[in-house]
Amino acid sequence: MAILIDRSSRIIIQGITGREASMVAKHMLDYGTRILAGITPGKGGQEIHGVPVLDTVKEAVRRYGADTSVVYVPPAFACDAVLEAVANGIKLVVVITENIPQKDAVRFLYAARQAGVRVIGPNSVGVINPADRVKLGAIGGDNVERCFVPGRVGVISRSGGMTAETSWMVKRAGYGVSTSISIGGDALIGSTIKDLLELFQQDAGTDAVVTFSEPGTSQEEEAAEFVARGGFTKPLLCYVAGRFTEDMPEGTVFGHAGAIISSGRGKPSDKMKRLREAGAVVVEDYDHLIDELRRVLG
Amino acid sequence: MGRLLEHHSKQLIKQLGLAVPAGEAVATPEEAGAAAERLGGPVVVKALVPVGKRGKAGAVKFAGSPAEARAAAASLLGTTVRNFPVEQVLVEKRLDIQEEWYLSITWDKARKMPAVIAGTRGGVDVEEINRAEPGRLLVRHVDPFYGLAAYQAKEIWADLGVGGKLLVAATGLLVKLYGLFDQSDAYLLEINPLAVTAGDTLAVAAAVMSVDDSAMYRHPELAGMVQLGSERAWRPLTGLEKRMVEVNETDPYRGTARYTEMPGGDIGFMCGGGGGSLLCFDALVTNGGRPANYSEVGGNPPEEKVYGLTKGILSKPGVKGLFVAHNITNNTQVDVLARGIVRALRDMNINPETFPVVVREAGVNDAAAREIFTAAGVEYYGDEITMTEAAARMVRRMEEAYPGYRRQEGK
Repeated sequence: MAILIDRSSRIIIQGITGREASMVAKHMLDYGTRILAGITPGKGGQEIHGVPVLDTVKEAVRRYGADTSVVYVPPAFACDAVLEAVANGIKLVVVITENIPQKDAVRFLYAARQAGVRVIGPNSVGVINPADRVKLGAIGGDNVERCFVPGRVGVISRSGGMTAETSWMVKRAGYGVSTSISIGGDALIGSTIKDLLELFQQDAGTDAVVTFSEPGTSQEEEAAEFVARGGFTKPLLCYVAGRFTEDMPEGTVFGHAGAIISSGRGKPSDKMKRLREAGAVVVEDYDHLIDELRRVLG
Repeated sequence: MGRLLEHHSKQLIKQLGLAVPAGEAVATPEEAGAAAERLGGPVVVKALVPVGKRGKAGAVKFAGSPAEARAAAASLLGTTVRNFPVEQVLVEKRLDIQEEWYLSITWDKARKMPAVIAGTRGGVDVEEINRAEPGRLLVRHVDPFYGLAAYQAKEIWADLGVGGKLLVAATGLLVKLYGLFDQSDAYLLEINPLAVTAGDTLAVAAAVMSVDDSAMYRHPELAGMVQLGSERAWRPLTGLEKRMVEVNETDPYRGTARYTEMPGGDIGFMCGGGGGSLLCFDALVTNGGRPANYSEVGGNPPEEKVYGLTKGILSKPGVKGLFVAHNITNNTQVDVLARGIVRALRDMNINPETFPVVVREAGVNDAAAREIFTAAGVEYYGDEITMTEAAARMVRRMEEAYPGYRRQEGK
């Protein structure tokens, strides 16, 4: 069991003919993930690693019943790509593209909300379900097992790279992951920590969740509130990076675009306090995740 | 996001046909006096720096005569306001203000919608308005596709109790400013105060505007007005930081190499990516280390970029060690990093036996990276240790190389 994706996901890649996307498609296929089609306007009829390329999402839905899309198109075209996926009934859209103008992100996130479509990202490295060998995006690269082995721990990370490292810490502790999600480093993203805790709560294959956080946004505060009111009752282990930024002048970005403290909000120490008060296990030292996982999972 | 200086944002607002005070941007006290002479009557002299809350910082002065304007400019030019040097001042005709209102348009990040915030009490910080009279500011969200219709703008002001001729003026002004916010990919457009002047007219007395860096490709008209990347520093970029921006720009489409100088410090910091750098920095500080800079290296940068960044990191005076660490990478070729770093060390005649260098790099081609680093005498770790353990090892090496390291002051 896992959340978001499994063997029955009907996956397409929008922008599959790009340099990075075609390499990622290869790694996804090598891992065992089925990709039904790729979409690049004007390149319909071609093939990428044996995957048929179509001109429209509409065609992919009609021919293959696509329901999950990975968006790899350049920033200037990303908004339209997500709108196309939403309009054609895709249920899960994972947006990998980085540096999408905020106005565009607001627009496609709004359209997705209206249509009840789940969005991961933008600026995500992807989602992985190791038990089913399904991954969307570059997550795990071409050496997936180094970090991602099947298990019963969920991982949610605001940093793409730390999605891998955190899943590797889970493995080091002697466990594996049910689903690992890189939720994207931008200030505005489709699915927040709280949204995914809600899914992990319902997932019988997940016994605990580990989160990796950064300064900025109010995601951790919202997640803490959700846990405090009983929305998530499994063990939750949290790490918040970037405490040093509290000693720096406000309004400076360190790290991802979303990692900014302003008007006194978004401080790691506040996030840690709120999560701890809500009942989460908050580690000061990232390495303590290993001992704490062993303690809570027995 | 990149901020615009006030005279630039007012220029954009003036182009909408809205009233802004007559004014001139000048660089010397003499020019300020001459500008005041031309404007006639009392003027306001404001430091042109890309920071907010200038009134509080003493960067806004009132002058009743050209001589006073000259003196005000002399007292501002050459100083720094929140770390930014004042190179120009804006001399503006002082408005006869009867009421001060507040208006801003921004993104509500929790609701993921554009939001208009308006009130008929302004002039002071929005935080203060909220504190003193909670509920005086009205917040309305805007459909990001539909935009703000005139009737919606009208309802905002009517709900605040505005009527008569001012209601019509305020409605027109808000629709135009929302259009500017939307069309210029702004992050923030704040008018504080929005001035009610004689005869029930409105004027934009002060404006703060910032725009989205990521959208600059579709705004050639804003080029030259926006300091790109200005959100990544709390002061103007240093010479070294500017050089590192150049290193990054040599190949803008492959890999990221961001560099921020920190005050003091002695450990060169060569880490990535976004979250990994934050963790490594915290881990060094927790262990008693003193990073001399912050960096983010990722996205599979070419060797030349790694080489240039490493040399830059090592060139900061006082740096006497180098910490290289990443999370286990999804796609960055670690052997390429290794070649760039080892070449920089060699070129700068740095001997890793005496100058502590600790590396924790695991990812694509890490077997080759291990060989390159080890052959160069660098202490290398792959995924046999954690990032935190590597940071502790770095500080230990500093202690071994410089006895009493952890007791030293942070400068």
